[in-house]
Amino acid sequence: MKKKFLATLMIVAMSASMLAGCGSKGDAPADSAATDDAAATDDAAATNDAATTDDAAATDDAAASDEEQTITVWCWDPTFNIYAMETAGEYYAKDHPNVKVEVTETAWDDLQPMITNAASTGEISQLPDIILMQDNAFQKNAISYPDLFVDLTDSGIDFSQFAAGKLGYSTVGGKNYGVPFDNGAVIACYRTDILEQAGYTIDDLTDITWSRFEEISSDVQAKTGYYLLSERSGEADLLMMMLQSAGASLFDENGGVNIANNDVLKKVVETFNSMVKNNALLLTQQNWDEYIKSFNSGSAAGVINGCWIMGSIQAAEDQAGKWAITNMPKLDGVDGATNYSNNGGSSWAITSNCQNKDLAIDFLNSTFCGSVDFYGEILPKSGAIATWAPAAEADVYGEPSDFFGGDTVFTKIVDFATKTPANNTGVYYYEARNAVTTALTNIANGADIDSELANAQATVEQQMQ
Amino acid sequence: MEKAKGRKLSQSKRYNLTGWVFLTPAALLIAVFSFYPMIKCFIYSFQKGATFANMEWYGLNNYIRMFQDTVFMQSLKNTFVYFLIQVPIMLILALILASLLNNKDLKFKGFFRTAIFLPCATTLVSYAIIFRSLFSTDGFVNTILMKLGILDAPFAFLTNTTSARAIIILALVWRWTGYNMVFYLSGLQNIEYSVYEAAKIDGASPMQSFFHITIPLLKPTILLTAIMSTNGTLQLFDESVNLTNGGPANTSITMSHYIYDTTFKYVPNFGYSCAMSMLILILVGTLAFIQMKVGDKRD
Amino acid sequence: MISLPKKIAQYVFLILFSLFSIFPLIWMAIAATNSSIDIIRGKMTPGTYLVENYKALVGQSELWHAMGNSFKYSIMVTLLSLVVCSLAGYGFEIYHDKMKDRLMNVILLAMMVPFVATMIPLFGMMAKMGLLNTVRGFILPSISTPFLIMLFRQSARSFPHDIIEAARIDGLGEFQIFVRMFFPTMRSTYAAAMTITFMNAWNNYLWPKVIMNKPETQTMPMLVANLTSGYVTDYGMLMLSVLFCTLPTVIIFFCLQKSFAEGITGAVK
Repeated sequence: MKKKFLATLMIVAMSASMLAGCGSKGDAPADSAATDDAAATDDAAATNDAATTDDAAATDDAAASDEEQTITVWCWDPTFNIYAMETAGEYYAKDHPNVKVEVTETAWDDLQPMITNAASTGEISQLPDIILMQDNAFQKNAISYPDLFVDLTDSGIDFSQFAAGKLGYSTVGGKNYGVPFDNGAVIACYRTDILEQAGYTIDDLTDITWSRFEEISSDVQAKTGYYLLSERSGEADLLMMMLQSAGASLFDENGGVNIANNDVLKKVVETFNSMVKNNALLLTQQNWDEYIKSFNSGSAAGVINGCWIMGSIQAAEDQAGKWAITNMPKLDGVDGATNYSNNGGSSWAITSNCQNKDLAIDFLNSTFCGSVDFYGEILPKSGAIATWAPAAEADVYGEPSDFFGGDTVFTKIVDFATKTPANNTGVYYYEARNAVTTALTNIANGADIDSELANAQATVEQQMQ
Repeated sequence: MEKAKGRKLSQSKRYNLTGWVFLTPAALLIAVFSFYPMIKCFIYSFQKGATFANMEWYGLNNYIRMFQDTVFMQSLKNTFVYFLIQVPIMLILALILASLLNNKDLKFKGFFRTAIFLPCATTLVSYAIIFRSLFSTDGFVNTILMKLGILDAPFAFLTNTTSARAIIILALVWRWTGYNMVFYLSGLQNIEYSVYEAAKIDGASPMQSFFHITIPLLKPTILLTAIMSTNGTLQLFDESVNLTNGGPANTSITMSHYIYDTTFKYVPNFGYSCAMSMLILILVGTLAFIQMKVGDKRD
Repeated sequence: MISLPKKIAQYVFLILFSLFSIFPLIWMAIAATNSSIDIIRGKMTPGTYLVENYKALVGQSELWHAMGNSFKYSIMVTLLSLVVCSLAGYGFEIYHDKMKDRLMNVILLAMMVPFVATMIPLFGMMAKMGLLNTVRGFILPSISTPFLIMLFRQSARSFPHDIIEAARIDGLGEFQIFVRMFFPTMRSTYAAAMTITFMNAWNNYLWPKVIMNKPETQTMPMLVANLTSGYVTDYGMLMLSVLFCTLPTVIIFFCLQKSFAEGITGAVK
C-alpha cells in the first residue's frame, strides 16, 4: 500500500515538475522582457508599475520550478558576513530546495578592484548575482557606474523597515540600490572596574557631552593611569563619528565640499585636540593592531566605535564582566547634536549581471528583509546586529550579555541605530576623509585650524575636477 | 626548402636569424600582454571618464593636474627620497654579503645564504605586522632603547615623518638585500675561482681583488640589479600601504600608492591614474637609460 | 691568507646580518603557537596554541586545497618562464646586434608602468579573448618578464664564446648548443632564476584574484588576505597561515642554494 502510494506521489510530482518546467520555459521570453524593462525603467518611472507586476508573476514561477538554481555571492569575513549569507541560504533552501547559495570569499580590498575592472571595461559577465558593499563606498560605485546595480525601489522589499540612517548609504537619487545588512551603530564601552577606582559609574558617562567626557577622562587618567578613549593617529574614524552624530558631513546637500567653513567640523577638531592635550584621549600609532592592543592590554579603559568592535573587546576573556555599554558623548553647543552615530557596516546589492533577478530579490526579501528567525539565529554566533527593525523581536536580542555585566546590549544597540542621524557620505567620501585626516595631523603638530581646513577644501576640490 | 635557404644565407645572417627565433616567443608575449595594455593606458591618459565606453578627450589636462596635485607632488618627493637612500645602501650591502659568502672556506654557508634570503620570501602581510609590532609604542625596539637608556619615553616611530620614512627604508633593505645577493652569488659562480687564487699569489689584498676582479666581472649583474631596484623603488607600493598607510599627513606615501587610491579607493578617474603612471614610465625609463649607457658595454 | 681577527669580524658580521634577517621569521613561528590575544599583547615566547590555531585555520579555510593550487600554478609559471625567457636572453646576447640591443631596451619598458594602470585594460583584453576564469588567463601575462630575459642576457655575457665555437665545429646545431652547453653551464643562473620566479609566482596576488574568482581556484596569498579582512582578526591563525605561505619558497631556496656554489668550471667538461 505504502509503496504504491509513494509511487503515485512521485509520478504526480514528476509530471508537475515537468509542467512547471514547460511553464517556466514558456515564460522565459516574458521574463527577460521584464528584466529588460527593469533596467530601462531607471529613467522612465511610468513603466515601472507594469514591470513590477511582471516581476511578481515571474517570482512565483521561479519559486515553483524545480530547476537547480544557484545564487552567487561575493563577500568577506567568514565569521560574520559569509556566515550570515550561508545561513540565509540554508533558510531559503527550506522552502526552495532547488536553490543554492554559493559564496566566494573576497576581501573588500579585492572586491573593489574587481568591481572597477568589470564596470569600467563593461565586461560584467564575471560578476556574481549579489555583492556586499561597504556603505562608505556605495554612493561612489552606484553613481560612477549607474548600470552596475539593480534598482530595488519597486522590487517589493519594504525599505521602511530599515533604520533611516542606514538606508541613506544605499539610496541614490531617491532610489534604493541595496539591502542594508549589518549595524555600525556607535557604542561607548567603558571598564567599570576602572571607573569605580576613580569614583565614577557608567551612568556618569551616559547622555553626556564631550566637554564632560573630557573632564571625567582626564580625571580617570590622573587617578588610574588609564585613558578612557584611544584613537589611531592619522586616522579619522572618531572625527567622522563625531561629525555624523550631529548630522553634519564633509559635503553639502548638492555634493559640494564643505570643509573650510564648516563650523561643526571645526568644533569637532577643537574638541579632539583639546582631549589629546588634556590626556583625555590616547593616540596610538596608525595601525589597527596597536589600536586593538590599547584596550585589550589595558592602556585604555574605554572604546568608542561601531558596535562590531565588541568582537575585539570580547577577545580579552579575562576582562569579562568588567565592561559596560552606553551611548557616545555629544558635541557641545551644536544644533542637532545627538549621542548617536555610525561607523562601518555594509549592504547587499544585486548586480546587473544577475540572470534571475526575481529569484535574487525573493531570496533577499525572505531572509535579510523578512525573517526574524534568521536574524535571531545569526546573532549569537556572529554578533551581526540587524538594521532591519523587526529583527529586534527575536528573543536573542533581549538576552543579557555576561561579558558586558549582564546588560541587554543588543536591544540597546538597535535602539541607538534608530536614533542615528543619516550620513551624507557624498561621492568623494574617501578623498575628503583623507584630506581632513592630513589636516588633523598637521593641526595636531601646531598648524592653524582655519588654514589647514582651507587647504583640505582646496585639495578635495582639486581632486573633484 | 628551409635548409636550402639556410645554406644560401651567409653564416652571420643565419646566426642573426637564429637569435630572432630564440627571442620571438618572449617578445610576442610581452607585446601582447604588456605593450598592448600600456598603449591603451597611454591613450587613456589623455581622456576622462569612469567607464571605457564613455571616455571623452581631455587633452593634456590630466598631466597639468598632476603638477597641481599637492598629494601627488608630495608622493613624488617621498619616492625619490626612498630611491636615493635605499638603492645604494641595499646594493652595496648585497655585494659585500655575496662576496663574503662566495668564500670557499667559509663554514655554514648554506645557513647564512638561506637566512639572508629569507626576508624576501616572507609574505607581505606577515612582515608588515611584524615591523609594525616591532616599532609599536611598547614594542621590541622601544623596550630595548629604553632599557639602554637612549630613550626616556616610548617614541611613536610610525607617526613621525623622518622615522616613518626611515622604517620604510629599513624594511626595504631588510626585504630586498638577500634578493639582490642571490644574483650576485650566481654571477660570481661564473667567475672562475682560479682568477682569485692567481690574484692572491700576485699579492692582491681581498679589498683589491674585490674592486679589481669582483666588481668589473659582476658589472652586467650589477647593472641588472640597479635597473630592477630603480624600477622597484619608483613603483613602491606595499610598504607605503602596509607600514605607514602613507602617513603621517601623506609624508611617506609613494606614487604607486596614490595611483592605487585614485584608481580604486577614490571616485574612479582612470585617465588621471594613467597619466601619473606615464610619468613613472618616463622617470624609470630615463634612469634606466642612463644606467644602460654607463653600464651596458661589452668589452 | 686572511688574518684571524678579520675572519672573526667576517663571521660576526654574517651572524648579525643573518639574525637581523631571520628574526621576523622566528617571531612569526613563535606567534603561530600563541593565541590571538597573546600576540596582540606582545607575548614573545612560544605558547601552546599551535594545535588550536591549526584547527581553526583548517576549519575556516581550505588550507591544503589552496596550497595545492599555489603549487600547481607556481610550478607551471616557473617552468614556462624559464624556458621562454632563457631562450630569449640567450638569443639577445649570443646573437647580439644593434637591433636586438635596441629591442631589449624597448622590452625593459614593459615593466616600468605600475600594474594598477595596465591591469584594467589587460582585464578587458582577457575578457574579449574569453580567458576570464581560466588558468591560461592567469598564467599567460606572467610567463615572459623583462626581468628574467635581462637576467639571462646578462649571465650569457660571461658564457665563454670558445665553447660555442668548439661546439659548432663539432657539428652541433644552434639549439643543441643552447640545450647541451648553455643550460648545464648556467646552472647557477637557472637556480637563481627558478627560486625568484617561483617566489614571484607564489606571491602573485592581485591578478589571479581578479581573473579567477571561484572558491576552488583560491591560492595561498588570497587565503592569507581573506584572514585579515574581517571585523576581528585572529592573529594566531593568521601567523600560522603566513608560515604555511612562506615555507615552500624557503625550502626551495634552501635546496637550490647549493647550486649557487658550484662554479662554472665544474659543469663544463
